[in-house]
Amino acid sequence: MIEIHQDSDFLPQFSNRLDESNALCSFEEFKLAWQGLKLQSIPQFEGVLALEQLPHIQFLDHQVDACERVVHEMSGRAILADEVGLGKTLEAGLILKEYMIRGMVKKVLILTPASLVNQWTQELSEKFYIQAASPRKKHADWRNWDITVTSIDMAKREQHQEEILSMTYDMIIIDEAHKLKNHKTKNFQFVKQLKKTYCLLLTATPIQNQLSDLFNLVSILKPGYLGDLTEFKKKYKNTSLEESQTQQHVHSLLGKLMIRNLRKDTGLDTSKRKVKNITLSFNDEEQWFYNELEKLKTNYPSFTWLTLAKEFCSSREACFMSLKALNEKSPSDFKEQLMNKLGELPHHTKAQKMADLIEESGEKFIVFTEYRATQFYLQWFLQQRGISSVPFSGKFNKSKRDWMKQLFKTRAQVMIATEAGAEGINLQFCHNMINYDLPWNPMRLEQRIGRIHRFGQEKDVNVFNFAIKNTLEDQILTLLYEKIKLFQNAVGDLDSILEQIPGGNFEKHVQSILQESESQGEIDIKLRNLVSYVEYSVEERKESG
Amino acid sequence: MNSASHYDFTKQFFQLNGCKIDEDKPKQMKVKLTKEMDEALMNRPFYWHYIKKMNREGETLSLTFKDISLGEAEEGIYLHGGTPKLQQIYQVALEKGYTARLYEAVETDNQNLALHPWLCLNMRVTFRGKQSKDLLLSLGLNLINGAMVHEAMPKLIKLDLTSKVSDYTFPMTPLIKMESGYKRLLRNIELHLETLDTQWAVESLQQLRYEQELLESFYNSKDVDTDQYEKELEQLHVRYQPRIHLQVANGGLIYLTSETSQNMLRTQI
Repeated sequence: MIEIHQDSDFLPQFSNRLDESNALCSFEEFKLAWQGLKLQSIPQFEGVLALEQLPHIQFLDHQVDACERVVHEMSGRAILADEVGLGKTLEAGLILKEYMIRGMVKKVLILTPASLVNQWTQELSEKFYIQAASPRKKHADWRNWDITVTSIDMAKREQHQEEILSMTYDMIIIDEAHKLKNHKTKNFQFVKQLKKTYCLLLTATPIQNQLSDLFNLVSILKPGYLGDLTEFKKKYKNTSLEESQTQQHVHSLLGKLMIRNLRKDTGLDTSKRKVKNITLSFNDEEQWFYNELEKLKTNYPSFTWLTLAKEFCSSREACFMSLKALNEKSPSDFKEQLMNKLGELPHHTKAQKMADLIEESGEKFIVFTEYRATQFYLQWFLQQRGISSVPFSGKFNKSKRDWMKQLFKTRAQVMIATEAGAEGINLQFCHNMINYDLPWNPMRLEQRIGRIHRFGQEKDVNVFNFAIKNTLEDQILTLLYEKIKLFQNAVGDLDSILEQIPGGNFEKHVQSILQESESQGEIDIKLRNLVSYVEYSVEERKESG
Repeated sequence: MNSASHYDFTKQFFQLNGCKIDEDKPKQMKVKLTKEMDEALMNRPFYWHYIKKMNREGETLSLTFKDISLGEAEEGIYLHGGTPKLQQIYQVALEKGYTARLYEAVETDNQNLALHPWLCLNMRVTFRGKQSKDLLLSLGLNLINGAMVHEAMPKLIKLDLTSKVSDYTFPMTPLIKMESGYKRLLRNIELHLETLDTQWAVESLQQLRYEQELLESFYNSKDVDTDQYEKELEQLHVRYQPRIHLQVANGGLIYLTSETSQNMLRTQI
């Protein structure tokens, strides 16, 4: 049953060396070897040995549990799917360290979005004393580096790919793994080809659109685990929540390879969320302009109007940029007029409210907007009011991102970030957030809040959601956000539901409702239906267990 | 196994191997490597090959190490459990201290004091399956009378042993041949292993079979190609096949006075 491997090298070598009095060592060397052996050896199967060596980090119970389960029960192949802000990176680091201490992992490849490479390298070094390398422009030594952090895009480049695929890694870690959901993409194919012993996939949203997303992640870890793809698709194609049996089946299978901690289960709620929805009214001029925009509906696809209206709720500048682009493609007097009018409007109602709020509190704020034009405008506007701010975008290069974060921490009062900045920046030193405009997908808002309401936040977190009355935003806020009680419940309950609405996910539904409806009334009714479907599903889930 | 013991170990290692410690602070040290250590630790065979061809001296590198209390900004490699460089150093230390012939240092007027030969083996037994662990065994066998001891090394450490025979002492020729001595020790270890709990292996095998079946059903349904199937199958064995590796970490032929030999049997650590 147990294979026993004998040591066939020692005796012949020893006899040889004794005969020739060759390569024999001193007593000191003999003792040192023994000492090294003791330092290196792992005395027990169980437990997390790394904890003892990392006394400076206060790991939370759920993080230690995750490590134990992955190492001892799941044999090192797992999906880490904790909610945003519960410390997935820390869990992955702990697991990696544990394997390294146990001498089972030496060669490691960590794939993250390009914007997170720096943060990973830094955290591994600062928290775990694991010194990782990441390839710069021309310098990449895949073969000799023990631990490498890089982006998939970098790794799959022609000049690197072949070398990487020729190696056997002891461990592969993939951050933001939900991006691999499509099995037809090159990224997925690349990852699938990697030779690996252990593998961790990190994602906060394991299921984004359909259950088959998850299937693809699982097939990286354990091919065959959920049956084969064709069968799986047939079975779960129209999975709806009524079929709770199939759900349960999938869940029980997943339990063996996925760890998902929810905020509410972890006792991490010492820092509370205070969410305040602030509904403002346009001034007369703005309201007039918003109404004018609706005239576009007659000549353009409703999507155009939708975009412009949403932009106008954010800033004149954002709207102007799109109008200009539109006018360049098909010039018209009406659009010219609109653009001129736009230039004459006073400062945006929201901008003024934002500045008031920040001035009053005197504390640090992070402001999120979806538009770059708004970002520029707000920075300028705050400067006029004597408030210091820094911009942030995930598109900045590493050093610029670090620099901006540093500036925000030490000097500036406000950080103005675009959506692209919502992943992978941790700002626990700030506890106020303004959502200057609202994304259609509540999950994305959750990601934003996760930047400050996360492990390490000591104060209560204030979240202000801005919306303007009698506009699209108002509808989004009242119908989508308030009704769903997003902020009271952890999204953990919700996300699988939002992602699995028959006929597409939540975001798609909202978009198509807004685009396809003929009238305000129709939008209202359809949105209400959507929301009540979600409510119904939540209730049903609660009852069933 | 705290960070400080790694630091001390590393320092001792380089000193013993003739490297000059250029900067010697309590938390940071810079070590100028010797050619031998450079070749062993720096992984640049092409450079040394080239130097040799050119018949030149070559310039060795320096390594800086730091204690974990120093931050990111300070230069140096962290000395902390699982650090690859540290693992490499352990490995070199084991290679350097692989085999020895040592004699007990004695000052005696007694002409012709006989020294008993002992075969001492330090074994690493690695249990590997779903989980993994090591068992360290240190065994000694008196090659004259066949007496066997466990925990030999902790006892030997306390003695004064040298590579040279002391005056007026003479090493006895073993009555038990080296090879049969070695076999006796290994048989002893195997007997010991048989008494250990094997639940870990049972669980590993169950897991292996379960995973293998899944993989096969997937393979049979043609959702995975042969290449990938084989790759995965190999991986399953790496991760779950229960196995025990018996490895002699180092070993020595050690000559002890009959008095010390007696003490080896008695002393309890």
